Amino acid sequence: MKMFSISHKTAFVVDHCPYMAESCRQQVEFDMLTKNRPQGVIPLAPVSKSLWTCAVECSMEYCRILYDIYPTRKLVNFIVSDSEFHILNSWNQADQSTQELMAALAAVGPPNPHEDPECCSILHGLMAAVESLCKITEYQHEARTTLMDKADRVSNRGRIICITNAKSDTHVRMLEDYVQETIQEQNKLAISSDRLMQIQQCELVLIHTYPFGEETLVSDRPKKEISPVLTSEVHSVRAGRHLASKLNILVQQHFDLASTTITNIPMKEEQHANTSANYDVELLHHRDAHMEFIKSGDLHPAGSTSRDSGLKETVTLKWCTPRTNSVELHFCTGAYRISPVDVNSRPSSCLTNFLLNGRSVLLEQPRKSGSKVISHMLSSHGGEIFLHVLNCTRSTLEDPPSISEGCGGRVTDYRITDFGEFMRENRLTPFPDVQGSEVAGKVPLERAKRQLERHTRYWPMIISQTTIFNMQAVVPLASLIVKESLTEEDVLTCQKTIYNLVDMERKNDPLPISTVGTRGKGPKRDEQYRIMWNELETLVRTHMGSSERHQRVLDCVLACRSKPPEEEDRKKRGRKREDREDKGEKNGKDSESERSWQESERLKAALERDREELAEAEVIKDSPDSPEPLNKKPRLEVEDVQPAEKAKGPVSLLTMWTNRINTANSRKHQEFAGRVNSVNNKAELYQHLKDENGMDPHENGKAMR
Amino acid sequence: MPTVVLMDVSLSMTRPVQLDGTEEFQRKNLAVHGLTMLFEHMATNYRLEFTALVAFSSLWELMVPFTRDYNTLQEALNNLEDYDKTCLEPALQGVSNIVQQEWGSTCPCQVVLVTDGSLGIGRGSLRHSLSTIKHRSEDKKFPLPFPFPAKLYIMCIANAEELQNSDTLDNLEQLLSLNGGEGQIFTVEGPLCLKNVQSLFGKLIDQAYTPFHAVLRCGNLSSDVQVFPRPEPVIMDEEVDPAPRTILTDLEIVGFIEIGDISSPPVLSRHLVLPIAVNKDVDEMGTGTTDETEEENSANQMAGKSPNFCVLLHGSLKVEGMVALVQLGPEWYGMLYSQADSKKKSNLMMSLFEPGPEPLPWLGKVSQLGPTSDAKENPYGEDDSKSPFPLQPKSKRSYAQNVTVWIKPSGLQTDVQKILRNARKLPEKTQTFYKELNRLRKAALAFGFWDLLKGVADLLERECTLLPDTAHPDAAFQLSHAAQQLKLASTGDSQYAAFDHNITPMLTDFSGSGSSDRDRM
Repeated sequence: MKMFSISHKTAFVVDHCPYMAESCRQQVEFDMLTKNRPQGVIPLAPVSKSLWTCAVECSMEYCRILYDIYPTRKLVNFIVSDSEFHILNSWNQADQSTQELMAALAAVGPPNPHEDPECCSILHGLMAAVESLCKITEYQHEARTTLMDKADRVSNRGRIICITNAKSDTHVRMLEDYVQETIQEQNKLAISSDRLMQIQQCELVLIHTYPFGEETLVSDRPKKEISPVLTSEVHSVRAGRHLASKLNILVQQHFDLASTTITNIPMKEEQHANTSANYDVELLHHRDAHMEFIKSGDLHPAGSTSRDSGLKETVTLKWCTPRTNSVELHFCTGAYRISPVDVNSRPSSCLTNFLLNGRSVLLEQPRKSGSKVISHMLSSHGGEIFLHVLNCTRSTLEDPPSISEGCGGRVTDYRITDFGEFMRENRLTPFPDVQGSEVAGKVPLERAKRQLERHTRYWPMIISQTTIFNMQAVVPLASLIVKESLTEEDVLTCQKTIYNLVDMERKNDPLPISTVGTRGKGPKRDEQYRIMWNELETLVRTHMGSSERHQRVLDCVLACRSKPPEEEDRKKRGRKREDREDKGEKNGKDSESERSWQESERLKAALERDREELAEAEVIKDSPDSPEPLNKKPRLEVEDVQPAEKAKGPVSLLTMWTNRINTANSRKHQEFAGRVNSVNNKAELYQHLKDENGMDPHENGKAMR
Repeated sequence: MPTVVLMDVSLSMTRPVQLDGTEEFQRKNLAVHGLTMLFEHMATNYRLEFTALVAFSSLWELMVPFTRDYNTLQEALNNLEDYDKTCLEPALQGVSNIVQQEWGSTCPCQVVLVTDGSLGIGRGSLRHSLSTIKHRSEDKKFPLPFPFPAKLYIMCIANAEELQNSDTLDNLEQLLSLNGGEGQIFTVEGPLCLKNVQSLFGKLIDQAYTPFHAVLRCGNLSSDVQVFPRPEPVIMDEEVDPAPRTILTDLEIVGFIEIGDISSPPVLSRHLVLPIAVNKDVDEMGTGTTDETEEENSANQMAGKSPNFCVLLHGSLKVEGMVALVQLGPEWYGMLYSQADSKKKSNLMMSLFEPGPEPLPWLGKVSQLGPTSDAKENPYGEDDSKSPFPLQPKSKRSYAQNVTVWIKPSGLQTDVQKILRNARKLPEKTQTFYKELNRLRKAALAFGFWDLLKGVADLLERECTLLPDTAHPDAAFQLSHAAQQLKLASTGDSQYAAFDHNITPMLTDFSGSGSSDRDRM
């Protein structure tokens, strides 16, 4: 894979001398008879292309295929030669398009048959071509500048394709010698120039073209070495379609192309819209797309010869009707741009339009054995069609250990959804390449990395490791604090979030603290808030250095954490109350009720297992060994009401039922918020406080609100 | 990268080795000892590698087809019998066939040839094969270079001194150069003994079978991982950039992209990314020690229970249908995604793109990809209905822009027919008529095909005379106007034959009476 191989630069030299105005003597009927033509009209005389027209349209076709398959880095310099040379474009990438060349060719026009043949020569063009090959291209320049002291690794090679009408073999030799001499001269000049490079290797392809029906005066000659720098080959071909197929073969040879014929393409008939016939379309692409065939010797499956393009071989692949969807990630070992051989034929344009509309087609390889193998896929990306090579052999990665068997595989409460959200926020998008952006440290990809760094400064991986990310109330702050810079409004939102948390704490709202891995009830309510505040502080602290406003958010967190005295006071009282509750729970009768509840729960669990094969973890939660469900409070309340009844005898059905419902609910997070808002429960809670400490109108009033 | 062990079981392998005072060994025993060590290493540190065992003498035999079951390999190794002389060429051909049958011709392989360095005499010897290499017919080509990318490791159960007495090393080196220089020859240093053979195979293990460990990072989240198979160095352009590129051991995620947007990209290779628990002690002890297997296992069990970033990443990539773009080195990228096999097991997989700043044309330059939050508007739309991908190329391809090609007469005829069809439906089809006419005009001017312009002008004039009485009067006007313009263009007069000039419809007004105009015709 050499970037600066011979095919980096191609100089086309087309003869524009008077004799090229001669007819190629192949007539084209353009006045075709149609069905609704009135009778008795004599068709107009057919037209005939000149040698020039043939040469130009074939070289344009060469360029079309080249530009389709190599939109960049393979450059053409088009030169026309008569009494002087006309250079139609430059090596600049911006000049590399058929439209550009067509416009320039139109300006040149056909050769003037009345010009003095003595003044005209192809030599002017050949000289210009050699000069042009010495000129440095954008890519060579760029590579030389980046390689600095190793700039000599950048080579300068090129090819000259000359379409002319030579007089004899001797004339051909004269042309070769002339090119050789010019290279030597130009190379001398190039030594002392920055914008010129010495030609290290040049391939001269001389194409002698002559009218149909004439005898050729020039013989074909395969590639031969004229000098260490120059090789030359001679092709003698009749104008018209012979020249076209010759150039088609050459473009394949010069740019390592190969041909694939897509067969069995179902296409609606124009006349019979409800039937479809099968068509074939031939495509050209880099030959690496056939690597598997070349290596395995499967290149010549039965009946794989091109019909009339004059090519030696084409690989036939069959259109496969079960189409693929775009969200499937195929294992694809190569993707190569294509160019249809017959670009504006109806089957070709049907296929290309189908693909350009965003659909993909899988292609099947007809095997000798008769087995079906899907080996390729045609798909367009942004208006360019690619032939994807799919891997169709056994994978060495088959049957790998599942990710659940490896490190971290036994952990079940990963924050998968949250990380999915994180990935969406960190999706990439293209930015225009602005000069000088690197200096400013604003390379988009670097910014993307920095964003990832900011977003992950505090990112617990599992649900049970975090409280704040399980709280809807923290979301506004959590999503803002990771930003590179905050606006005043952002700071305000963060502060509001913090105040809201303070409010929640005052109201003693329960928190989604995880109790996984802890025994007993889990932390107390004020302990829960302490954990939450700690976590929030950790999160905000990791960003405090980002800006002054980030610091202000941290200040706010720190300020709100330190409780006002009355709050502290209340806390203490709250703790006493909870102590009492703890004692209550150790009550023997209480545990008795627990046990009977557990039994019924076990029965239910067994039933459930049968019914829907619940995850094991779910069931284990209910066993005595497992930690208590997080939300104990509501149940405690219920129990507080019950003792009188309990003392009377065995647990009532109602108690068991309520307990069961409470436990079931407390296992689900969604239920959580609903229960928090349940006014009755809260009233009960504060009633209890009141009994113990007398009236506290301020707090109670708030709670009742 | 599957391995084929090609074991020499010719009679010369049974030559005894002089050892001081200990029991007598054959070279074969030493070779088996070395291979045992290799298999043990692979079973613990490289257990996803598929390995096949081929024994050869004048014939070859596939003893164990590709497997990850190293016990089977070991058993077969222990039960090898002794045969006649060494004929390497058919054995290499056999290896070539076995690999292609199993893995096709794109999968890179490693061939470990174990021999004593006596490569036969006369016909069938390596020397003979190499001397006739240039006089082969197509169907009897020397098996090297293999059709698949291959590394050839030649393990000589002989020391360099004894090999110097023959041309063995020259022949083996020639073999390597036939394989494109991919591989290495190892010889025993010092006298032949178990210890030195161990160090011989130790070198092979270091060279070819050390697991690739890396750290996968996403901002501050990270995980220690093993990348399997080991990513091999890549050479992009042997001329401009001849140094092979290797991937970094620090794999940094740079962002995320939807599967639909990355759209089945071509990749150089695929690798499993397996999270590992790094045991510091094992690291310091180096590889090749096998006593710690049990400890490692219990360590692995512990590791299973502590959260790992790879598992989180894998889960979310799978659920969201996204890939993570990962930087492998300077201007080298790859992607991480969830890959499920048929048995509903899934895994974190990494594919390597071709090195370079722009591996996928439809993503553009990777360095120009940035966070969506930097964009003025969310390029994915507020409801995720849009996507900034694929990137549109600067110029359209020929098949997307209605080019004119007249190489086949049918191409020209179709274009003329299109003009005629529209000409008959004037004035309704005025716009299309002129569009097609201008397309033909442009192409004819570029190709210097002025005769065609005249011809089509004649054609239009004739159409004009054939217009039925019911035709709209405008039709005649437009036809003769178009014909006249084409004729002018065909003179090459710069005023009329300019490429960028377009023939515009004649401005007519038939709101009033058009009959007088018609009489004038």
